[in-house]
Amino acid sequence: MRIAIRSIVLLTTIFILLAVIGCDGSGSENDPDEMILRQALFNKIKSLDPVSMRDVYSATVSGQIFETLYQYHFLKRPYELIPLLAEEMPQISEDMLVYTIKIKKGVLFQDDKCFPLGKARELTSGDFVYGLKRVADIKNLSENWSVFDNKIVGLDEFREYTKTCKKAEDVDYSRPIAGLQMPDDYTLVIRLKRPWPQLIGTALADMVTSPVAKEAVDYYGEDIISHPVGTGPYMLKKWHRGSYIELVRNPNFRGELYPSEGEPGDAEAGYLDDAGKIMPFADKVVWTIIEEYQPAWLLFLQGKLDTSVIPKDNFDEAITGIGELTPELKQRNIHLKIFSDPSTFWLGFNMQDAVLGENKPLRLAISRAIDRKRFIDLFFNGRHPIADGFIPPLMASYNPKIKEKGYSRYDPNDARKLVEEAEEIYGGKLPKLRIAMPGTDTFARQFGQFLTRNLNDVGIDVEIDYMDWPTYQEKLNTSSAQMFASGIVASIPDAEDFMGIFYSKNKAPGSNKFNYYNAEFDKLYEEIATMFDSPERRELYQKMELVVLEDCPAAFLNHRIAYVLHHDWVKNYKPHVFQYGLSKYRRIDTAKRAEYKGR
Amino acid sequence: MAAYIIRRLLYTIPIVFGVLLLTFILFNMVGGDISAEIAGKSASKETIEEIRKERGYDKPLFFSWDSQFVNHFENALTFNLGRALDREPVIDKIKRGVMPSLALTVPMFFGIVIVSVGLSLIVAFVRGSIWDVLTVVICVAGMSIPFLSFILFGQYFLAYKWGLFPIFFSPDLATAQYVALPVLIGIVTGLGANLRFYRTVMLDEMRSDYVRTAFAKGLGPGRVLFKHVLKNAMIPIITRIVLAIPFLFLGSLLLERFFGIPGLGYLMIEAIGSRDYFVINAMTYISAILFVIFNVITDICYALVDPRISFE
Repeated sequence: MRIAIRSIVLLTTIFILLAVIGCDGSGSENDPDEMILRQALFNKIKSLDPVSMRDVYSATVSGQIFETLYQYHFLKRPYELIPLLAEEMPQISEDMLVYTIKIKKGVLFQDDKCFPLGKARELTSGDFVYGLKRVADIKNLSENWSVFDNKIVGLDEFREYTKTCKKAEDVDYSRPIAGLQMPDDYTLVIRLKRPWPQLIGTALADMVTSPVAKEAVDYYGEDIISHPVGTGPYMLKKWHRGSYIELVRNPNFRGELYPSEGEPGDAEAGYLDDAGKIMPFADKVVWTIIEEYQPAWLLFLQGKLDTSVIPKDNFDEAITGIGELTPELKQRNIHLKIFSDPSTFWLGFNMQDAVLGENKPLRLAISRAIDRKRFIDLFFNGRHPIADGFIPPLMASYNPKIKEKGYSRYDPNDARKLVEEAEEIYGGKLPKLRIAMPGTDTFARQFGQFLTRNLNDVGIDVEIDYMDWPTYQEKLNTSSAQMFASGIVASIPDAEDFMGIFYSKNKAPGSNKFNYYNAEFDKLYEEIATMFDSPERRELYQKMELVVLEDCPAAFLNHRIAYVLHHDWVKNYKPHVFQYGLSKYRRIDTAKRAEYKGR
Repeated sequence: MAAYIIRRLLYTIPIVFGVLLLTFILFNMVGGDISAEIAGKSASKETIEEIRKERGYDKPLFFSWDSQFVNHFENALTFNLGRALDREPVIDKIKRGVMPSLALTVPMFFGIVIVSVGLSLIVAFVRGSIWDVLTVVICVAGMSIPFLSFILFGQYFLAYKWGLFPIFFSPDLATAQYVALPVLIGIVTGLGANLRFYRTVMLDEMRSDYVRTAFAKGLGPGRVLFKHVLKNAMIPIITRIVLAIPFLFLGSLLLERFFGIPGLGYLMIEAIGSRDYFVINAMTYISAILFVIFNVITDICYALVDPRISFE
């Protein structure tokens, strides 16, 4: 007994001593001249294997390790695709079915023990073919297959073949695919089944097609998710899963020149100061995974993070009533960047639902009952614009006159009249409607209360079903949600992502969770799917948007405007919403960072 | 004693079997097929089918040598915990998380026990005085303030404003550095309920005849309290302490999340949120085993501290 008590006291004393000795509040610092980019990620990284990558956070990290054939220009706007691993833009045949892509010579993978003697080899066209075969291989369970489904000649047949293999090891990757040819080590030829103008943006500039060394896949097996071997400017040094990731320079990286051209104003903003210099600039890139806003905000103010979003609860501390930085943050030499995010959020209607689907006045009544301005003021500090349509203002196909159409207007009186009309169609008092709300957190509950009050005000009885993400997904996939709060962020600077979610062949469990069908829309969608970007195509987009808005399969709520802060020691911080491999452009003024007083 | 321990350990077999059966029924029959969740948001039907095959969900639930339950049972017994939804082996996740969790919960636990038992002896001794009343009021007030408030306050003032502790986990820091503040917060928040409990236990003992006798014989307060009262109050203290030990393994959700401690508390909650049954199942199974083992230890401790309790 006495021994037990003494042991407890001894253990506790040791711990307290350790805590006190080690507790200087800062920890062991790195070399002050070392250029380290320090950022926060608000979610955990799931995988660092491009084949199974689907979330923004994984892509943010992988984008520094892996490279794609093409990338978006860092400075030019509108966004412009330029070669990265490709030597030049592809040669496209007249029938738009054959893409011939020349690949840069002398590109090396990072050194890794998966290679003989640990020394990397050169990238070849075979690595791209291998990557696409991995996406098609059913054994890899890639979520990205839908991007390539029925697009490349012979790839679907390869997928069918992999289904016949018993085990993953049985799949023969040397099987030829007619639509993926390698005339030599530096040429890749892709043959399509039908024209696919988004091939470059949607696929060849996307992380999913980043080349991964076959040697690494063979060596690490299923653990390839945590052993990325790419050609990019950085390579993985440490990954404390769920808490911390550290990348260091890839010594095999060929070097890339910082762009010398941008858009007007870039030179004045200092974005061209490093023109022509060899990238990457930073020695290390570090992400700390911080899922709560308070610690991330405090670490930013302390100078231990270079950049930060503005948490809702700290908005007044950061931004004045006229949308400028507060004097306190200005004094700390913090800079504010405001930019449009290609996103739209909505309250969706299940068009197969017996009450909503055949009752357009009811859908319109719900849409007009929602006070979007109040919603944005309450939940987003008045930052975001109302979504008058679903194509965000950032897109070239955005219709600047869409607001005049009044599809998103708040008109409770009109909504009440529409409810009466809806009741006539329904044949009596409307039943209680249900909204599927993803999440059970404070935001979800407050949003639910807001919608309930708005709809109750016009005589619509509604109940909110709060649920976890998997349950919500299941409800949408099985079309069992009557209404649902949702949204989308575009992956390319083209509104096609927004059109696809209304195409009837994409009905649930596909991306059309509204189960919307309109023959005219479908016809137009099939027309634009094979058109390259042009004024005609943009006009068709606007026409399609009007078709959808007229049918009202959703009450569109808001687009998003991002407010990002960064310390003045971070250089070349130009917002870019379509690319992940941005760390190579960033430069750190280590002297300024060292001068910063954090408290 | 050996026979007693063996007998008690044998009792654990049906308990563990029951836990396995229960978790299987909950996850596989109530929770349903999770292949679609594993496949992700935009997966095709064929991908979902492939997962069903790969994970064995296409096999019968019971009543077959190759049934899902037999596999579940076999995997549990061999500690083959499978791969989580993100395809990382579950055992790797647990191994990685267990030390940070214990680094947080063990000192927190001992801190709470030592401070609350020590203080409870003192306030029981001065019962009815202003110090006793003040302690009870502070305990009740501490219990009434949400745990989150202590975290936000501690992180803002102690870490950010006064710079006494790091704000967040960093691999550059020693474990003692990054767990110091959360441990302190954990001890402060845990004191209220524990101190009140131990005070009640001590008060019961202080009213016993042997305490009066000890004082009458001229023993000092320290000797009476720590030698006699504490020893006699050990049964409820041991019950509370030993049965709490298995839960130390589960970490602390909020502290881990706010201070970035890569432990098991957050792993478990995250697994529940994303319906990662592989992780939930493994954690439930390990917790059940630990709970059963510590129950046995509790019983052994009873006999060690109280000679009236026999192993027979």
